[in-house]
Amino acid sequence: MAYSDKVLDHYNNPRNVGSMDKNDPNVGTGMVGAPECGDVMKLQVKVNPTTGIIEDAKFKTFGCGSAIASSSLATEMLKGKTVDEALAIKNTEIVNELALPPVKIHCSVLAEDAIKAAITNYKDKTAKEQAAVAQ
Amino acid sequence: MDYFSFFGLERKLTLDASQLQKRFYELSREYHPDRFARKPEEERLKAEEASAILNDGYRVLRDPVQRAEYVLKQEGFDVGEQRSKDVPPELLEEVFELNMALEELRHGDEDARASLAEAHQKFINMRAAADEELTGLGQRYDQSQDRAVLQQIRGVLNRRRYIRNLVTEVEKELA
Repeated sequence: MAYSDKVLDHYNNPRNVGSMDKNDPNVGTGMVGAPECGDVMKLQVKVNPTTGIIEDAKFKTFGCGSAIASSSLATEMLKGKTVDEALAIKNTEIVNELALPPVKIHCSVLAEDAIKAAITNYKDKTAKEQAAVAQ
Repeated sequence: MDYFSFFGLERKLTLDASQLQKRFYELSREYHPDRFARKPEEERLKAEEASAILNDGYRVLRDPVQRAEYVLKQEGFDVGEQRSKDVPPELLEEVFELNMALEELRHGDEDARASLAEAHQKFINMRAAADEELTGLGQRYDQSQDRAVLQQIRGVLNRRRYIRNLVTEVEKELA
């Protein structure tokens, strides 16, 4: 099956590969996986606590080209968005942008799950921190 | 068509391999095309269809992993497309770390070969442990018919799939 040019571009030059300190209170980490294909995807966001804007995003994915491209694109989409805007990102946006074929749609779903997991992790952290401060 | 009843076998996760093979040979003879060459078309087509089920069924039932997946599917567990929520986070964490280690070795020099071989052995052992666990759970399910056990089996199958991929990856490097 041929990959689209956009998938190949992200696969060959993945953006924002790497990791951030998961213990940093401003960093949210999402780790998701698809057992069917054996993919694992880690996606992290760094949020500015005063503005609520995502200032940085990193990922590392072990999986097929489409899974790598989906998460690479996801990190690009995340930067500059607020936490709530990030939660509104739909996998269909990734599908359209990368022209993913139907058999690879689950890769975009995985990326959406990773975004949600990272944001949820960040929100949980801040909620805990606030609870600790309140005490 | 249920494969177990097609083979006339009890629906069990722990299947007697020799019994299955025996039934496969018997049924292969029974539906052999030579026996239907001169029969009316309707009968011939039925035999062809039975032969196809026989071969598919044998492939699924003789493999413990495929057999477990088959029973899970029959019991209404979704074993196709799965979302991350079905995978325990510790497993993802572990698989991620193993992949990271593998990637480091991959970019290493010749010295990395020994470590790769070590990793290979480790994954093989993990796969064997998963298979053993699967056998144990299979026995438990056969005795209890408890759906909670099937849920556990599903977890082991997920884990095994990840391990199988790691084995394939490391074997590519060692080849």
